[in-house]
Amino acid sequence: MRRAQHIHGSLQVAGTLIILGLGVEAVCLLWSRPIAFVIFAGLGGLLISAGVLLFLYALVFLESGNGGGSGPAAAPPRAQL
Amino acid sequence: MPLAAILALILLSALLAGVLVFRPALTVHPGGKILAFGVLFFLPLFCLMAGVDNEMERSKSTSFCLSCHIMEPYGKSLHVDDPSYLAGAHYQNHRVPAGEACYTCHTNYAMFGTFKAKLGGLRHLYVHYLKTEPRPEDIQLHEPYNNRECLHCHLGARSFEQGVVHNADPGTLPAVKADKLSCVSSGCHDLVHNVGTLDEVKFWNEGK
Repeated sequence: MRRAQHIHGSLQVAGTLIILGLGVEAVCLLWSRPIAFVIFAGLGGLLISAGVLLFLYALVFLESGNGGGSGPAAAPPRAQL
Repeated sequence: MPLAAILALILLSALLAGVLVFRPALTVHPGGKILAFGVLFFLPLFCLMAGVDNEMERSKSTSFCLSCHIMEPYGKSLHVDDPSYLAGAHYQNHRVPAGEACYTCHTNYAMFGTFKAKLGGLRHLYVHYLKTEPRPEDIQLHEPYNNRECLHCHLGARSFEQGVVHNADPGTLPAVKADKLSCVSSGCHDLVHNVGTLDEVKFWNEGK
């Protein structure tokens, strides 16, 4: 349960970063000034890359249960008959 | 890719990402996982690449270069009504694409030329925002103009290969081709932009 929350939290942060990055990208595409390209690549690219990397991190490390021991507890051993 | 399509794709990506931000539990199901992969990985990177491509194409346009105040006299020099002004003659006679006039002559026709030209543009921004800008007439090229950029179009052309002045001395053409004698050297095509003397010349009004 805690792991699922952790994954969901990471996805929310990744999604927020990507939305912000896309917003920056859209503004820069509409703003036809040389500085717009620098902001586009610097800020927009950074936000989108951070969001994508966080998503991949959540996918690879949290989803597979290697996220620092935050996964569900191992099943209790069977009672011996 | 047209700008409107990129903007529509950005809007769609942002909306779908918004859905995942507010409903992350959707990713519990296989369909949600596929959606998350598309929205948080594939679409943003696609938008980013399409945006970079669009920005790179736009940065080649004449209007982009002339959007900086300091470049105004250089834009004006393209309209000088005198065929001996090299930049104006090329622009007015469409020897270079009028919409990409600056880029066509000032890029580097070697490997990574476009990349180098864009790095040069970043240097301009650095000087513009963080240093003291020179006066337009004091602006210098980063490095001497290489004949390679002229020969990219003129090499093999009849007017170049059989030009009277080019062939007056048998050593001229080989020296030009080897970049030992600059096309824009003194006494040859040395009137390029000459923004310092623009108040002394007539201008072509583009048939208006």
